Amino acid sequence: MRPSTAAGPALRLTGLRVAYGDRVALAGIDLDVPTGQFLALAGPNGSGKTTLLRSVLGLTEPSGGAIELLGAPAGRLRVAERARRIAWVPQEESPRDDVRLADYVLYGRFAYHGALDAETAEDRAIAARALAEVGLSDRAGDGILSLSGGERQRAVLARALAQTAPILLLDEPTAHLDIAHQLDLFGRVRRLARDGGVTIVAAVHDLNLAARFADRIVVLSHGRQVADGAPDRVLTAELLARVWGIVADLRRDPRTGIPYLIPQTLLSAPGGVPPTLGPVHVVGGGGSASPVLVRLADEGYRLSAGVLPLLDSDAETAQALAVPAAIEAPFAPIGSAAAKRNLELLEAARAIVVAPFPVGPSNLENLASVLPFVGRRPVALLDAPPIAARDFTGGRATEIYERLAAGGAERLADADALVAWLKVRGPPGSAPGAPAPAAT
Amino acid sequence: MIYVYRFQPAEADVYLPLFAFLGAIATGLLILGVARGRYSSVETLLLTGVALANLLSAILSLLLLYNPTGSEQVTFWLLGGLGLASWPVDGIAAGSVLVLGTLLTLHGRELNLIQLGNDVAQSAGVDARRVRVRVILLASMATAVAVAFTGIIGFVGLVSPHIVRRLFRSDYRIVLPGAALVGALFLLTARDVSYVFFVGSLLPLGIFTAFAGVPFFLYLLYRQRRASTMGAM
Repeated sequence: MRPSTAAGPALRLTGLRVAYGDRVALAGIDLDVPTGQFLALAGPNGSGKTTLLRSVLGLTEPSGGAIELLGAPAGRLRVAERARRIAWVPQEESPRDDVRLADYVLYGRFAYHGALDAETAEDRAIAARALAEVGLSDRAGDGILSLSGGERQRAVLARALAQTAPILLLDEPTAHLDIAHQLDLFGRVRRLARDGGVTIVAAVHDLNLAARFADRIVVLSHGRQVADGAPDRVLTAELLARVWGIVADLRRDPRTGIPYLIPQTLLSAPGGVPPTLGPVHVVGGGGSASPVLVRLADEGYRLSAGVLPLLDSDAETAQALAVPAAIEAPFAPIGSAAAKRNLELLEAARAIVVAPFPVGPSNLENLASVLPFVGRRPVALLDAPPIAARDFTGGRATEIYERLAAGGAERLADADALVAWLKVRGPPGSAPGAPAPAAT
Repeated sequence: MIYVYRFQPAEADVYLPLFAFLGAIATGLLILGVARGRYSSVETLLLTGVALANLLSAILSLLLLYNPTGSEQVTFWLLGGLGLASWPVDGIAAGSVLVLGTLLTLHGRELNLIQLGNDVAQSAGVDARRVRVRVILLASMATAVAVAFTGIIGFVGLVSPHIVRRLFRSDYRIVLPGAALVGALFLLTARDVSYVFFVGSLLPLGIFTAFAGVPFFLYLLYRQRRASTMGAM
């Protein structure tokens, strides 16, 4: 075989297609991975990450397209030749025999010998170096079954390193590891790329790990590439919603500029079923509505909110959860447009929740807007802290509160009580929860 | 590995071993055929072997039922023993085992990797599918030669690799020849012990090895399970 060409990419996929019977696992992937790059493959379960890795390894037969390893068509390589170009770290390896760690790492040298040759001193030196690289030199004499989960995965990495292949593939290598071992393993892998010039392709579920360590993220969905680029360009709220169906806060580490995300909630169930309960309207402001919105979204309720001041954390939460809301400029009295929008949402709602927001002259209107609905809709008043403590209107808010309660609104202590109450009084999704005669 | 046997009733002593050998090879090929193509697991192979063994033993019972004249010879063969051991037989057995055993041992490095899983072995440069076919054929042939001449002497092949693993290490380049030697030693010891303690009764060797082997095998299983649960912690 021709030696590696420094100019071309280490790994090139052209129109790679894989189908299992009728099911298309990869629908034409084009990908160039330059030497020394750390590429993270992301995507939901079943998007084709593992299939892609297995095809490159020669474990799954492609139904179309081409794979080139260091310039050579992979299909023409014999098994041992391929192994000299590519090494693999699987998600988990379960050896049957309690092999000594030193021997186990030496297994990685297989591709460099005929069946009859014994390992050379050079093989032993390479294996010892690989073991030192993962920090397990002092365990060389121990059986691999005596290693902990984190140590065992490092041992697998050492075996793959002993293969001295210029390309390293990893399939969810940290799936069974705790957070410290995850950082440790990915740190080692990144050093291999940066210092050793090893080309890395790793399937990674944890997007924060991918963003933190990888040079590039390729996102697969239903067997197609849907995004490709540097982590900060690839990870967008829109992509997370479209590919994974989740809403997440995307932040940027102020020290490193690395993006990270905090998953908030599902836009829909993983199968794509939208929430069917509700809608429930939440009246809030000043951050009081956020926990209620998040909790009810988790419980599967469709939601609306109002009137929330712009730039308020409640407004941000509503936006992140894609909850329709009536929004008003901050610190301004509620204008007619916002009030009208709020009224529409209140009319459409099948239950109303009043969050424990501080009431001042500018948002007294917010509380008063619920009054006409008492008796026509189930209304819950979250009353902790109690209204007296957050009434900045000289008693007018408390008075409205009492009228709401007198009209049948339920005083509840917290979100747990609210969820329980909604299950009994609240709206399934079908009939409007209006047992009382309609007020005219 | 896999215990397979096949029997054709025959009058002469030569035909019984010959047909037993051919039957074993045929069964080995059949198992490979069933498990072919896919990356079938060890469990699939074992279960296929067990299923076929049951089918064949049913056929055997059927043949015995309708052909009672051969039953004495068959029963003796089924119980197993070294009664056939004499010069030409020894030569054939020793020669085949030596050749086949050497060929098997040459696959030791590949087997070391296959033990980690077919996919891992393949990624490290082992042509796992081809090696498996070769090893299963070689093992079937070696087993067939031995069983053809001695009948069924159970648990020698099951127990001796475990002893070698415990005494030395889990390297198939050592385990394969080591198990052959330990197995031979175990068999001869068992024969001598049965001569000494059951003088004149000629207790069939197969029965004796089963009595000695089964408790030891169960003990090994128990130890192994404890070791693997401790390793998982």
